Order: sequence, then C-alpha cells, then structure tokens
Amino acid sequence: MPFREINSKMVEAQVVPGQRMFSQRGAMLAYRGDVSFTPSLTGGQGGVMGMIGRRVANEQTPLMTVEGSGTVMFGHGGHHIQVINLTGETLYVEADRLLAFDGTLQQGTMFMGSQGGVMGMVRGQVSGQGLFTTTLKGHGSVAVMAHGGVIELPITPNRPVHVDPQAYVAHHGDVRNKLSTALGWRDMVGRGSGEAFQLELSGQGAVYVQASEEKL
Amino acid sequence: MAQFRLQGSKVLAVDLTGDAVKAKNGSMVAYDGQMAFKKMSGGGEGLRGMVTRRLTGEQMTVMEVQGHGTCFFADRASEINLVNLRGEKLYVESSNLLCTDAGLRTGTTFTGLRGASTGNGLFTTTVEGSGQAAIVSDGPAVVLRVSAQYPLSVDPGAYIAHTGNLQQSFQSGVTFRTLIGEGSGEAFQIRFEGEGLVYVQPSERNTVGGDI
Repeated sequence: MPFREINSKMVEAQVVPGQRMFSQRGAMLAYRGDVSFTPSLTGGQGGVMGMIGRRVANEQTPLMTVEGSGTVMFGHGGHHIQVINLTGETLYVEADRLLAFDGTLQQGTMFMGSQGGVMGMVRGQVSGQGLFTTTLKGHGSVAVMAHGGVIELPITPNRPVHVDPQAYVAHHGDVRNKLSTALGWRDMVGRGSGEAFQLELSGQGAVYVQASEEKL
Repeated sequence: MAQFRLQGSKVLAVDLTGDAVKAKNGSMVAYDGQMAFKKMSGGGEGLRGMVTRRLTGEQMTVMEVQGHGTCFFADRASEINLVNLRGEKLYVESSNLLCTDAGLRTGTTFTGLRGASTGNGLFTTTVEGSGQAAIVSDGPAVVLRVSAQYPLSVDPGAYIAHTGNLQQSFQSGVTFRTLIGEGSGEAFQIRFEGEGLVYVQPSERNTVGGDI
C-alpha cells in the first residue's frame, strides 16, 4: 500500500481489511471510514522476544496498529516526510524517525557494532543515535520524518558518499558504513572546521540526507 | 570554477574539480569524491580582516572546502538563494551567508543605524568579485528591484541582503502613541534609494522594532 504525499509534511494511506499498518503513536491527523487504532505493545512484530530486544536496544518508539477500511492521514511535529518504497531490500532507520510503515514489512534491530566493529559503536555515540538501529525489510512503503527536505544520494561501488552524522536520516541497500574522522590537532584546540566526523557509506544503495543538522 | 546548483530549495550542491569554496563552518551535510575541510580563522581575510571582524562584531566562522566531487551544504533547513555576482558587491548579514566561491573577496562595512535596529550590529559583510554565492533565508526570499522612481522600505527584521548602488536610510515612526503603547508595531523601516536589488525573507527576526 503506497503512501500518497498530500504535501511535504502530510501523507495519506489506504487501509484495507486484512492488512494492517504501523505508525508512531499519536501521528494520526485525520481519517475517513472505519479505522481502529490500537497501541502495539510488542512494537510491531517479533512477539515478546522482539519487544525485549527493542527494550534492551533502546530502539523503542511507541507504535500503534492501524486496521480497518478507510484512509488515514499521518503527520508529526511539522516535520518533513519522505516516502521510501522498498522492493525487497533492507532499510536502516532510527526508530524515532519512523512515522508509518506497511505491516507486511519485517522489522528488526541491528547492532551497529556488527558493522565496522568498535568504530561502529563510536559512530552511534558520536551521531547521538545509540548503538542500535531499526531495520525494515520486504516489499512495501515507509514514511520517514526529517527536519527540512530530504535528498537521496546514490551509492555506487566506486563512489562512496560521506555524510554528516547529524544530517543522516536512513539508508538502504548493500551498504557498509564506517565512521571516518578528520581529527587533527586543530580540532583539539577548538579551531576545527566543524566537520571532524563523517559517516562513510560504501557499496550499492542509497542514503537519505536531511537539509539540516538538527535532530528531530 | 565551482558550480553551484540547488537540490530542492534547502540543499546546495557544489560541483568541485580541484577548486575551492568558502562555506559556513559545519554546514556540510554530505559529499562524494575527495574533500578537504580547513578552518579559516577570522573569515579568511588575513590578519587585518580578522581584527576588523573582532572589532566590528561581524564574526564569521568559515571553512575552506577543496576537492573533486560534489559537496552538499545546508543550514537548519533554511531556504537557499543563489546570487550571481559579476563584479558587483553583495551586502549580507554574516549569519545569512552560507557559501561563496573562493575567488570572491569578503569584507566588512559600516551600515549605520540600520544595523542597530535589526539587532545585527552596526556592521555587515560584503562579498565582491565575480562568481556565485549562496545566502540562506527563513522561508523563500523575494528579490525586490529598487529604481530611481521606486524606492523601497523594508522591515529591518525581514531584510537579508542587497546588491547594487543603494543608499539606505533609517525611518522611524516613533510618536507619542508609541510611547504610551499604542504603536502600530511597525515603528522602524529601512528605506532604500537608488538602483539595485533587495532580498527580503517572509519572516522577521526578533528586533527592537518588532516590540514597539
């Protein structure tokens, strides 16, 4: 079920019987038809183990299940919304940036340390995003929030992309990420260019970058 | 020369082929290719410029970005406007200046009373030469033409930049009514006369004038 973008800050989703979707709790703006919203204690799929996993990983954003038949409009905090359509690949995104997504997508959490080892963990700390990130896999649509507009940058094997950790929103594809530092003595004495840390993404896929260095 | 283009209205993409640009410190959001970031102390105008900036309070923290590839800049989701300079001078508040071609000269100039009313100080930044510059605004900016027959008055909080041969004067509508709290809320304006362009944003910074 694709999301329809009403404007840059609102999306509309069709809900049909037998198919459910998840959204951040409280993100519904309006709806038509017969739709029910129930808090999702397990945070989507994965059952109790998934719930515990998310608790431990601190990647839990209160979610709700949206079911019934009708159309629902979503939006949150006046943030810019980017719709990403997945065709089998895995999307990596911070849980608090997720606005809504298809229930058919498989949810999981990934330990950042497993990509790039210790630097992967440092990455989470530097970017303030924690040690875990949420993954969504399968065929379906995801609505992701960002501060300001979002640009999509392709990553190809010969062209890695470097991203400011604060401006990073999400990425998909077969992508490795590592934290690269350009820390010189100038940064130590407080005369740096302000670009001491960068996230280097290489492989095949795409990265979404927001037009701002502010968190949500 | 570095090629400036907009990706959407809030992200500036600069294509570099070994050349350099000057940008606001920390405004890079992403890049591909090879880039080097170097802080330029005091706005990159040498010792004299640094001292002037210190004295005038028109501080700018600027970095020089040099490399091969595309570098993306953005600043707190502000709208970005491209300005093409062909030898003329751009007057802009340093906080609104995002990126300039490295070949452009930057300096400071005295603005008179306008600065005091905008809360931006008495000095403003100038950009001069031939090349491109990018300025940020809160909301999409409009460019208004000023000619001999058509002078323009602007709210100090909404003014962001101007080019051309313009004289500015400060207009005040402060009367007895203002003092007893019955003002219109538009006590101060800057009046531009001459030939040139003025960039105005659809938003007002907090200024002294806004409270009166």
